[in-house]
Amino acid sequence: MTERGTKGKVFFRRLEELFRPRSVAVVGASDDFGKLGYHVMKSLLEGDFGGRVYPVNPRAREIWGLRAYPSVGELPEGVDLAVVAIPAPLVPEVIEACGRKGVKGVVLITAGFREVEDPRGEELHRKVSEIASRWALPIIGPNTFGFVNRTVGVNASFTPEFSLIRPGGIALVSQSGGFCHLSGFMAIEEGVGLSKLVGIGNRLNVDFPEMVRLLAQDPEARVIALYIEGMERPRELVEAAQELRGQKPILAYKAGRSEKGDSASRFHTGALAGDYRIWRGALRQAGILEVQSAEELLDAAKALEALPPLEGPRIAVLSSQAGPGLIAADKVEAEGLRLARFSASTQRRIDELLPPLAMRTNPVDMGPAWYNPRAILGILEAVLEDEATDGVLFLNMFASANLKLATEVRDYLKGRETLSKPVIGCFSAPLGLWEEVQEVDQRKGFVILPTPERAARAMGDLWCWHRVKRRWPKGG
Amino acid sequence: MAEGRLILGKEALDLLRASGLSVLRTEEALDEAQAVEAARAVGYPVALKLSQAVHKTELGGVRVGLRYAEEVRGAFRQLRRLQPTGPLLLQEMGQGLEAFVGVLTDPSFGPVLAFGLGGIFVEVLEDLSFRLIPIGREDAREMIEELRAYPALSGARGRRVDLEALEGLLLGVSDLVKARPQLLEMDLNPVFLSEDGYRICDARIIQAP
Repeated sequence: MTERGTKGKVFFRRLEELFRPRSVAVVGASDDFGKLGYHVMKSLLEGDFGGRVYPVNPRAREIWGLRAYPSVGELPEGVDLAVVAIPAPLVPEVIEACGRKGVKGVVLITAGFREVEDPRGEELHRKVSEIASRWALPIIGPNTFGFVNRTVGVNASFTPEFSLIRPGGIALVSQSGGFCHLSGFMAIEEGVGLSKLVGIGNRLNVDFPEMVRLLAQDPEARVIALYIEGMERPRELVEAAQELRGQKPILAYKAGRSEKGDSASRFHTGALAGDYRIWRGALRQAGILEVQSAEELLDAAKALEALPPLEGPRIAVLSSQAGPGLIAADKVEAEGLRLARFSASTQRRIDELLPPLAMRTNPVDMGPAWYNPRAILGILEAVLEDEATDGVLFLNMFASANLKLATEVRDYLKGRETLSKPVIGCFSAPLGLWEEVQEVDQRKGFVILPTPERAARAMGDLWCWHRVKRRWPKGG
Repeated sequence: MAEGRLILGKEALDLLRASGLSVLRTEEALDEAQAVEAARAVGYPVALKLSQAVHKTELGGVRVGLRYAEEVRGAFRQLRRLQPTGPLLLQEMGQGLEAFVGVLTDPSFGPVLAFGLGGIFVEVLEDLSFRLIPIGREDAREMIEELRAYPALSGARGRRVDLEALEGLLLGVSDLVKARPQLLEMDLNPVFLSEDGYRICDARIIQAP
């Protein structure tokens, strides 16, 4: 059995169960705010987890008001999940005890494994790997904040605030806990719904290929988003992604680009092949959509999850003000999309709704209809029905005079079927105003993003995904 | 550079030809008479070059556009001074855009295929595309299309390249390395691309010991 040789059915079943535990032990649980075990208990008890929680700590009888157990071996049941936050040297013994007790999976928060310079870290890593292999025990980590599963409501992390993430269809898997905190709070702020947020840390036996294979089978994960720094076996990720054959989108944000790998110097001319450029090619080959920022990872995931597919590159830009429309029009072309040329009948409908005071062809400056949300919605409806338009950017900046627009947009969308074409909206407004439009975000084939640039970029990502999918004509 | 046996010149080109790849016609010549004989067989104009150097052009070891026997003899005498023993290579002239196809063995990804146009495109702009070996036809097409220099290949500037043949070259190199994993590195440079297809002009191969 190799270090990660636990590839069998038992291992994968346990990995799947680990993310929806009915019972959790917290090894290193504490009442002391200065210990990570305190925050893990808080996450489990103050979130929406409905299962059983067992604190494990030999030096306390009661923790967070619950009976504490002196060791894993003395737990009343073999729990589904053990969250381990104890000093590194004690970890092998605890993992062994978990195996013997029949624990199904472990989140290993403890750091100090192979990421540290001390060779003892490497030795510890090897030792724990060996124990985990022997028991076919999946371990998330070490050196992780943990995970949250918003679908079933379990926060097995040291960050209780992740329980505020809106449940949704995006599974985000990251090699960095810091990136999860960056994007997790961004998701809360922007109302992006996640199914899982997982920090796989130092990837003892659960790495990106295992997570992609797991999420491929997970109906709650409609989009898979990855934050990757580097891997020992990147080809396995490519293979795992190819097995999906375009059935759900996989996005990746690859960091660590400036580093020049050994391969660079292997080429005779010196610096031809930076590792990152091989990564770029490999991701494309895998059918993984590469993004260029944390925002784009969430924006693209949100758009892919909530919108109907973009079937063609012809985009209508509808803007209540000229400037944002011009910005979006520039970006549309930079994204490899085109501005739609409306059919004659669509143009007639627009011309009827807009006085001839501004640009009425694409990008449409709806400024002259400012006071008239019905006209704005009429134009939206016209381009949705236009056969020469594949997707719509719908940009509206608040002004006192168009106060009612957000309510009208919400009511319009609520009152109709899911849109047949993707519409990405921008609703920039003072804090506390126009919030009602957020009710239709990610619903009805409509999403809201903060800026025209980000809206256009996400539309570009929909188009890239469409082209990736074409690689697998029968991919479903 | 990987450890292994370096294969250059006609041996490298013959290996590629034997794998079904299209290579410029190349003959070895040990003296002036053989060079003139080979030039007649290959057809003027011809090129004459060193057979045993990696960076031939930098050494002044490549003479191109030789139009008749006297030019071949003159070039032979000059190159003889740079390479006193062993055959020189007499080659038909390549025509079209110069491209580069490379194979490297990355420590984590394993065999990787690289493609780009020659000259400043690869040296200054580092305009290269990469894929893991083996590739499929779709990958080959994307490797070509994602180059910034793609308009120069697709005919946007009036000059067309046989893109299907080029895809065939990329697939062929990928298949060759897949079938013979001991080929650790390859540097097909230049490869001439034209509307009639592609022709490999020079190659350097490193084979595992």
